[in-house]
Amino acid sequence: MPQTLSRRSFAALSTLGLGLPGLLAGCRGTTKAGSTTMIPGEHAPLADHLGWFSVDKPTIARVMSELTSRGADAADLYFQYSRDNSITMEDGIISRASSSVDQGVGLRVVVGDQTGYAFTEDLSLEAMLAAARTAAGIAHGGAARGPVEFKQRQRPSYYALSQPWSDIQTVQKLPHIERLNALARKADPSIHKVTVSWADGEELVLIADMHGNIQTDIRPMTRLWCMLTAKKGDVTQSNSANLAGRHGFDWYTEERLQFLADEAVKRTMVLFDARRPPAGEMPVVLAAGASGILLHEAIGHGMEADFNRKNTSIYASMIGKKVAPDFVTIVDDATQDGERGALNVDDEGNAVEKTVLVDHGVMASYLHDSISAKHYKVKATGSGRRESFRHSPMPRMRSTYMENGPHTREEIIASVKKGIIAETFTNGQVQIGAGDFTFYIKNGWLIEDGKITAPIKDINIIGNGPEALRNVTMVANDCKLDFGGWTCGKDGQSVPVSQGLPTTLVSKMTVGGENV
Amino acid sequence: MSDLLQSAKTAVDLAKKSGAQDAWAAVSRDRSVSLIYRDGKVEKVEESTSRGLGINLYVDGRYSSHSTTDLRPDRLAGFIKEAVALTRVLQPDPYRVIPDPALFKDRPTVDLERVDPAVAKLTREQREAWCAEMDAKAHTDPRVISAESNLFSGESQGAAASSNGFDGEWSGSYLGYACTATVREGEDKRPEGSAMAVGRFIQGLPEPGSVAALALRRAVERLGSTKGPTVRTTMVVDPEAAVSLLSRALAPLSAASIQQGRSYLAGKQGQKVFGDKLTITDDPLLPRGLSSRHFDGEGISARRMPLIEAGVVRNYYVDTYYGKKLGMAPTSGSASNRVLGLGNKPLAALIADVSEGIYVTSWLGGNSDATTGDFSLGLRGHQIKGGKIGAPIGEMNVTGNLAALFAKLAVVGDDPYPYSSLRAPTLVFEDVQFSGT
Repeated sequence: MPQTLSRRSFAALSTLGLGLPGLLAGCRGTTKAGSTTMIPGEHAPLADHLGWFSVDKPTIARVMSELTSRGADAADLYFQYSRDNSITMEDGIISRASSSVDQGVGLRVVVGDQTGYAFTEDLSLEAMLAAARTAAGIAHGGAARGPVEFKQRQRPSYYALSQPWSDIQTVQKLPHIERLNALARKADPSIHKVTVSWADGEELVLIADMHGNIQTDIRPMTRLWCMLTAKKGDVTQSNSANLAGRHGFDWYTEERLQFLADEAVKRTMVLFDARRPPAGEMPVVLAAGASGILLHEAIGHGMEADFNRKNTSIYASMIGKKVAPDFVTIVDDATQDGERGALNVDDEGNAVEKTVLVDHGVMASYLHDSISAKHYKVKATGSGRRESFRHSPMPRMRSTYMENGPHTREEIIASVKKGIIAETFTNGQVQIGAGDFTFYIKNGWLIEDGKITAPIKDINIIGNGPEALRNVTMVANDCKLDFGGWTCGKDGQSVPVSQGLPTTLVSKMTVGGENV
Repeated sequence: MSDLLQSAKTAVDLAKKSGAQDAWAAVSRDRSVSLIYRDGKVEKVEESTSRGLGINLYVDGRYSSHSTTDLRPDRLAGFIKEAVALTRVLQPDPYRVIPDPALFKDRPTVDLERVDPAVAKLTREQREAWCAEMDAKAHTDPRVISAESNLFSGESQGAAASSNGFDGEWSGSYLGYACTATVREGEDKRPEGSAMAVGRFIQGLPEPGSVAALALRRAVERLGSTKGPTVRTTMVVDPEAAVSLLSRALAPLSAASIQQGRSYLAGKQGQKVFGDKLTITDDPLLPRGLSSRHFDGEGISARRMPLIEAGVVRNYYVDTYYGKKLGMAPTSGSASNRVLGLGNKPLAALIADVSEGIYVTSWLGGNSDATTGDFSLGLRGHQIKGGKIGAPIGEMNVTGNLAALFAKLAVVGDDPYPYSSLRAPTLVFEDVQFSGT
């Protein structure tokens, strides 16, 4: 949480590698040509990573040299292995499970602001060289100088697990799933259907660039969903809640399961009494937590430097300008422990940070990947991300939130004569150039004469980014990040993100609603 | 037998050897190329060949599904063995059985024209030339700040096999181009317009330049956009925007939604829910259709199926699993091409018939609740005054209920959008709630 930053452990890479053999538990004993068998503690972590992908430094250097044979300002190889598992309980039985394995390498060449990209799932030298030649086709010059040797930098650790997911057997997960199902089912006699969906996974990456930097990471992810349908007479309502993060098995305590069941039940049952607010412009109070979706859509995307480099963002000429009141500070932060948006290193191998987007009301910095950092002659902000080895990286958000402000939630609600509170959300979108953004409210409340009077549901909010920032009139001191998981889509690539907000008042936005 | 079908059969055999009573495997291979061109030069070239395997396992009354891209024989054998072991710890599900082979019978053989051999032969020079043509066209207005043109194409092959006698193969090609133009408005605003075209065959697609011209026109038409009034009025939806609106309205036709109580169309089969003007057929057998097929993902032989007839719900998308739970015969669990019964006027003529209203060109965000049909969507478009397209409007929402909205469907156009498998024409609705100023 922004206001309660926990202590970080800047562990050396060697301690991080301990989880690796576990990641490969299913494949122990498989010896590959030119590689090593994974035995805990026997190899240094980098060697483990290289071994997993059946590559060594000379192989990487050979592929890199092919990749840069027609010239390059930047070039990198992104090796990735990921394994995901899911289990579903529906109609009272644990009726299905799934698993998936994905592995490959993405190869990128950058010349100026031109990019050549190819990938292969086949990690043989021949296949990688062929992909390198394809990617190199973008360039038309002489060979660039390749790295003399590859070196690893130390990096922080924001999501080391005591036990990797691959060490957890399916049978260990089942009692948690059954428990959540039971908690939700017994919460209210109107609950008609319960679906519990469990997901966990781990991703192993190795990133090598033409300057000789090599970086590794192991990224866990988990999510637990509780979806409900309730019936009262002939009216049916459904809703859901989920918990998500880069956490391990031990994160799922009885308290968390109870919290999730309560949250899903509360969000569903309130729909029976909820209605549509009146349509039109009105003050919108954004409840602490998930309302960070406002920042993500209204400003976050517009601050991704690729849009600004291409001059297509509404924020392209606003750095250094006053865009919001003094008490508004907005950050995008890779360093929040266990968050979906946390990263130990970005997908270009760059160091990560907490980037201040708006500093006390003044537009401070874009989110940069290597290409845009070079263009703007600044340091990359560790924001280069990609969905997988199939995609080239671009500037993306991580955990986006607003720092605490001077007001209280009570003051904010009391100040609104007629408006709404936005509490839970399903999705949002933005038009980068025009600045129009939207988010969809699943649950909320009507405020009349400074008091919460009735629940509302299913309305879209639409506003304009710079205008909404100007109209932030009050910010409370209760910032929290949403406990549910968010996935951000851009140019066909999805990446996990987090978002948060203190209770915030925007004095005017257009609320979807119905006037009788 | 193709190497893909052989791989699928091998995977089924591996599953059976590991103890599965039944298995269903599908293997696919795709090649894709994407070229992005911006403001006079190539910005990004992406090219790749990808492959993968998916397998469904039926083990001691239990079920699981798995996928992998690591197809090395030793890894694959280990993966399937582990997957079978994982399935054993789940709970038995009496409704889960491998699809009945009777559903595989009478598979159509009509040529669906899914593959244009010319797509695989496209050269880099040709792709660049088309992008350059779009780029030049998109820059013909001095207000343009930037234009991005994208040319994408691919070919895919796939095969599936099951332990109870199914085997089938498919292939396909596609070529598409898209263009986005961004124009300057005042100091900070940069409205954009986009257009695209995609097809299985190169022949029949419009000139790349005309796609760029449309993108540019759409961007320019956004200039001076303001927020319209909060009002109840007539809504005319552009064919391209009608695709996603119809898609939302039809998604709750799936048996999974109905069985889980998350469908506003549950229990409505045979009932009139929508307006008389709405007739929709699922047609998997359209030549060159983007979603044409001989069989679906469960091997069910394809056939045409009425979904909505003059507002009456005729059929649901029923897969074998949820069909069994509901006691309904399987149709197909997934949509193919969807074709509407058409009216007799295009968009322009329909707008001319509207004295006052809002013409929606595209949506921005929004969502709907499949259980109740309640929806609220952001929109951009134009005011309609006296039968003429007026000033651009944006930053507005439209809110209501899908069943109630489509009950007030007044007119359907004769102009289906060709670049989606849901071929939506212009739709005109009466008495719709808009939120603005």
